[in-house]
Amino acid sequence: MEMNIETQALLLDCLLDLGQLLLDCGAEISRVEDTINRISRAYGAKDTNVFVITSIISLTMEFPEHEALTETRRIVRDGGTDFIRMEKLNALSRSVCAEPIPVQDLKKRIKSISNGRKPFGVQFWGSILAAGSYAVFFGGSVYDGLVAAIFGALICLLQICLDKTEINTVARNLLISLLIGLGVGIAAHFAPMLRMDKILIGDIMLLIPGLAMINAVRNVLLGNTISGLVRLADSLLWAGALAGGFMIALKVINLLF
Amino acid sequence: MDHKTIIIQLLMAFVGSLGFSLLFGMRGKHLVPASLGGVLVWGLYLLLAKCIHDEGFMACLVAAAAAVLYAELLAHLRKCPATIFVIPAILPLVPGSGLYYTMAYAVQGNIAEAKIYGSQTLETALAIAAGISFVIALRQLHTKRTTK
Repeated sequence: MEMNIETQALLLDCLLDLGQLLLDCGAEISRVEDTINRISRAYGAKDTNVFVITSIISLTMEFPEHEALTETRRIVRDGGTDFIRMEKLNALSRSVCAEPIPVQDLKKRIKSISNGRKPFGVQFWGSILAAGSYAVFFGGSVYDGLVAAIFGALICLLQICLDKTEINTVARNLLISLLIGLGVGIAAHFAPMLRMDKILIGDIMLLIPGLAMINAVRNVLLGNTISGLVRLADSLLWAGALAGGFMIALKVINLLF
Repeated sequence: MDHKTIIIQLLMAFVGSLGFSLLFGMRGKHLVPASLGGVLVWGLYLLLAKCIHDEGFMACLVAAAAAVLYAELLAHLRKCPATIFVIPAILPLVPGSGLYYTMAYAVQGNIAEAKIYGSQTLETALAIAAGISFVIALRQLHTKRTTK
């Protein structure tokens, strides 16, 4: 495909958008780099240098008989894991690599995927199902499961509210786990048949940065050590904040009752 | 462990993975196979734990490896990223209860118990990582052979 300098710049911009979106919905670093490389090659770049870590994407493309173009994108925050957008981006990249579409169209397709966020309803019911079932899975009774499910719904609402603010993940985990810990502690005090530990374990599963940790390990093993270690440090901090919040809540409950 | 507990756990593994798949916005047509991954992995873990009388490292490692294999297979068949199937399949292995008891005993000042649970939790996390890396290594061997 023959491209003038403006189209090349637009493509560069598109690829950065795409990379940012992929990172945003929880893709591994190697997938982001690989996707950008492939699309760039499909559009006729003779040389592509892409460097991705969790906080930055740097991309240089060189087309035959043109100067190299470089742009850097700072990635500030990560959205929650989003399988549907990840899958759509993957499908888009597959189809574009097989048959490049005009860059304007590519821009529009990426934009429409970016706007298609996962609906609130499924997140809400997902949280309820997950928290309730893991409380029972780890040995809780049906009542423990039900209470864990109610607090799971609360976690989902809290997370959505806090997503709208500028609060960082460490502070957010601390706050949520503190509130949930206190809530469950009080509930367990007034309803003695409930087992606080089982309920909290179910709710912890929702907050635990399991995906971040698994991705961190995968990143390291796939050769992206920097991103992997950054993510691992991140997720340990998040888990620490989580533990801290619950610890404070447990202390307060012990003191109160 | 009696049969009733096993059946409840397998059922809950399914619902739990289903819940997380929904939470992460998975498309409807992937929900059942992805959630079945959690059941298969937990079933395998229980079976291994019974056979080799070890509820820790080895059973978890093999189960995690099986989770990634299952995910890669599904991803290949359905032409989508493996990550979306890895997560639901591995979830039942995530040491949520270990993490909780480590914290709870630490708060109560029972450091000896906290250490036991803490090292168990760490061991499980390492076993999952090792299981995943095993399959990744195998896949990379395979990719090299086919592309070069």
